[in-house]
This record gives sequence, structure tokens and C-alpha cells, in this order.
Amino acid sequence: MREERHSNPVKIVCEDITKVFIQKGKQRVHVLDHISLDVQENEFVVILGPGQSGKSTLLRIIAGLETPTEGHVLIDGQEVEGPGPERGLVFQGYMLFAWKTVMGNVEMGPKLRGVPKKERREIAAHYIHLVGLDGFEKHYPHQLSGGMKQRVGIARAYANNPKVMLLDEPFGQLDAQTRYFMEKETARIWETEKRTILFVTNNIDEAIYLADRIVTLEGKLPGRMHVAYRVDLPRPREHTDMAFLKLRHEITEASELTL
Amino acid sequence: MVDIANEIKQQVQERRPLTPALILGNRWFLYAISMLAFFLVWDRAAVARVFSSGLPRPYEVVLQLWSMMFDPLAGKSLLGHVWASTQRILIGFTIASLVAVPLGLMMALNRYVNAIVKPLFDLLKPMPPLAWISIAILWFGIGETSKVFIIIIGTFVPCLLDAYNGVRLVEPELYDVIRMLGGKRRHEIIQVCFPAAFPAIFAGLQIALSIAWSCVLAAELVSARSGLGFIIIRGMNLSRPAMIVGGMVVIAIVAWGMSQLVSGLERLVCPWKREIDGR
Repeated sequence: MREERHSNPVKIVCEDITKVFIQKGKQRVHVLDHISLDVQENEFVVILGPGQSGKSTLLRIIAGLETPTEGHVLIDGQEVEGPGPERGLVFQGYMLFAWKTVMGNVEMGPKLRGVPKKERREIAAHYIHLVGLDGFEKHYPHQLSGGMKQRVGIARAYANNPKVMLLDEPFGQLDAQTRYFMEKETARIWETEKRTILFVTNNIDEAIYLADRIVTLEGKLPGRMHVAYRVDLPRPREHTDMAFLKLRHEITEASELTL
Repeated sequence: MVDIANEIKQQVQERRPLTPALILGNRWFLYAISMLAFFLVWDRAAVARVFSSGLPRPYEVVLQLWSMMFDPLAGKSLLGHVWASTQRILIGFTIASLVAVPLGLMMALNRYVNAIVKPLFDLLKPMPPLAWISIAILWFGIGETSKVFIIIIGTFVPCLLDAYNGVRLVEPELYDVIRMLGGKRRHEIIQVCFPAAFPAIFAGLQIALSIAWSCVLAAELVSARSGLGFIIIRGMNLSRPAMIVGGMVVIAIVAWGMSQLVSGLERLVCPWKREIDGR
């Protein structure tokens, strides 16, 4: 199934993505089956699916960390051939460099590109401010809470001025309160510095709260596109809104059918 | 003036009274009691000749050490002997770690280096370093070289092993992170692999250091003219238990000191290591 709209330029195009993993030389694990997806510029798209539905693999393929067995990914018309800073990836397990401070982590991208110290410090400071971590520049990751660590992860990806931001279940390891807070922060950050975002989650509330469009995958391997939902609710959204709850009900019903 | 007086009165009233229970519960007090008890038991056991004349009294040990500071034994003062042992350790340890740590890192990073070195290493690993003493003396004589050789043999294994494992235990997703940020292979190694492996390497160094001490001691017990092991052997030969125990005490102190130095170095190089509360 293909999703298209013609008002904004298309940023990401996934055509017929299929992925088969070969484990131990024998077992073939068919993870993705002919996924096609278009994402427009500055659109916030959430890929929703239960665990083991291939959604992380899809994100990694778009990021360039894996190559699809069939099909390809185009960003701004150019094929994705490997990992790179034009696609900012935020990992589920934070994956911060424990030996670097917050500033050291966020400035790593510009540092690898050879940006001079003063300039990259300024860039990093800007994004540290964007995610609300002013004053924590000299802290080490082990001194930060989970939510703060993930904010560093977001700033670190943003600091490279990527064309698209890819977030792989970024709040899965946080407690409910922090998670809710981080969802609000994500919406705020996106509103402040607009970017095309692809967000993977298994949480329906999170999806409805954040997305312009929700794309669901079937609940079993190989992952196939299931249903897509437009979320036209005004922001900031309320979890207790009638329209919110109706959509939640609709998605819950539909997804239970495929499990 | 009245206010100040009231304030002081309040402070005095709020101070916890110095009861016996408070003193007895205080940690430092208990430490002191424990130490005092230890020395008391030791002294009594020495006087009671529990090991006939083999156990010196604590103050005899102190006297012995004090005299060795100024009266040379076999041409060296106490500090001279300390330096003799320390020097052997420093040389052997440095040589071994400078070779073993990079080798361990390369083994973990490069398949071919691994294929060549690992089988040899696995073959030699189980042999205790002290088993090499006799052959070392045969090859290098009874001088410095044989002792440094034993230390190298002993410290090589933990340094290499911990460097190797340090690299292998790095979270693989961190390499994904650096690649997503625009890093190439050399960045993967320098920016991720090495810093992530440092804590493990330092752990290896600490273990290697304590092994080095037992190696140098054993080598000196067998054949030496200087060093702390030599002091112990001399004490044996001259039937002076105070010298033996004195040597043991000095070894403990110096080994502890070197270990603290390595820990200090680790704190400098790895400031992100979470402090594990020793209490």
C-alpha cells in the first residue's frame, strides 16, 4: 500500500523494501515484506507496531545501517547507501558515549566533520539549549537521568543538521511520567526546529499524541503495512479529548485483529 | 546580646550529648579498637612464644626496620632494597604492558592477528609464571635479567587478556552511533573502541601489578642480593624473624602505594567511571 500526498515535497521515499536476514548460514528470517512509504517534508510520521514487527529494522534501513534485500530508500531523491549524519538516529538504549560529557557527546558529529572548536561548541550549545539541558554541559552520562540521557541523544543527532530525524522507540526505557514529559518535549522541539521525523513506537497513545500520520505494521513477521491513519487533531493534543479517544479505540481494534 | 546568648544556649541544648553509646558506635573508634586488639594479641602471642622464637613482637619489627634504614644490609639501606624490588617491577611491568595491551587490542580488532596469536597465547596462558623461574635462571643467570623476565611473563597475560576482553565487550551499537554521526573505521577505533576499553585495561593493570609483586618476591627468594625478598631470605638465614616480618610489612606498604598510584592514574584517564562507595 502506498501513501501519497501532493502538497509538500516528498522527503523520504521507501520503495518495496524487503529484508531477509540469513542467520547462521541457514535460517532465513523474513523481516520486512514489500514496504512502501512516502514521507513529506517536515511531516511527523509514526510507525506503530507491537514488538517483533520489523519496525526497528525498517528504521535502520532508512538510516543506512542495514541494506534492504530488495527495494531502496530515497531521501531528497538520492539513494541511501550507508550511515551518515544527514539522517539523525536516536537509539532506544540512549547509546551515549560514557567517557564524554554532554557537550562532548553533542559536539561529536561536528567534530568528526572537522568543524573548528569554537564553532562546534556554539552549535552544540544551541542544541543543548533546544532540548532543555542548559547547565548540564559538563555532566557525564552516568550522572543524568534516563529522560536527560535521551535528550542528549536527540541533541547529538540534531547537531548535525540532519535532513530527517529517525527515532527508534526512544522512550521505551523510561517510566510513564518521564515518558509523557518527553513526548511533550519532542512535540515542542519539533515545533521549534521543524524537521521530517520518523518515529517508531509500540505505544498507541504516544503515536496519536505526536503524529501527523500513523502507519501501522502487522503484528507478525514478515512486517507488512497494515493501515495508515491521518491525525488531524490540533496541537497541543489532549489524551482525554473525545477525538483522541475515538482514534485510539479505532487503532486498538484494528491492531488486535492482526495479532 | 540577649539574642546571642539564647542562640548559644539553644545550640548547646541541641547538641547530642556525648554518651558512651555514641562513642562506642563511632566507626573510627571501632577501627582503632580493632587495630589495637590485633597488635595486643600479636604482642601477647609473641611473648608467650606461641611459635617458639619465630614470632617477633611488633616493636621489635619497628626497631628492625628503623635500623635497616641506616645500617646497610648487603650494601643497601632499607630504601635501597625497596627501590631494587620496585625497579625490577617497573621495568618488567612497563615492557610487558607496552607489548601486551596493544597486542590484545589488535587481536580483538583484527581477525588475522587473532588467528596467529590466540593459539600460542592459549597454550602458554595456563602456566603459572613462577614455573619459569628455573629456566629463566638457566638462560639469564642470577642477575637482574632473569628477575625482570619472570615479571614480564607474569604480567603479560592479564594485560593482554583484559585489553582483549575490554574491546570485545564494547557495546556494538556504539559503533552504529559513530557511523551515523559520520565516523569512519578509524573513528570507530579511536573514538569508541579505545575509550570504552580503558576501564577494562586498567583493571588488567591492577591485577598485573599484584602478580608482579609475587613474581619479584619469588624470584628474589630464589636468588638475589638485593630487594625485599632478599631481606626476607636474609632474615631466614640469620634467624631474625623481626627481619622477615619487617620485610613482609614493607612489601605490603609499597605494593599498596603502587596500587594507589594506578588507581589515581585511572581516575585521571577515566573520569567518567562511577565511584563505587567503598564503605
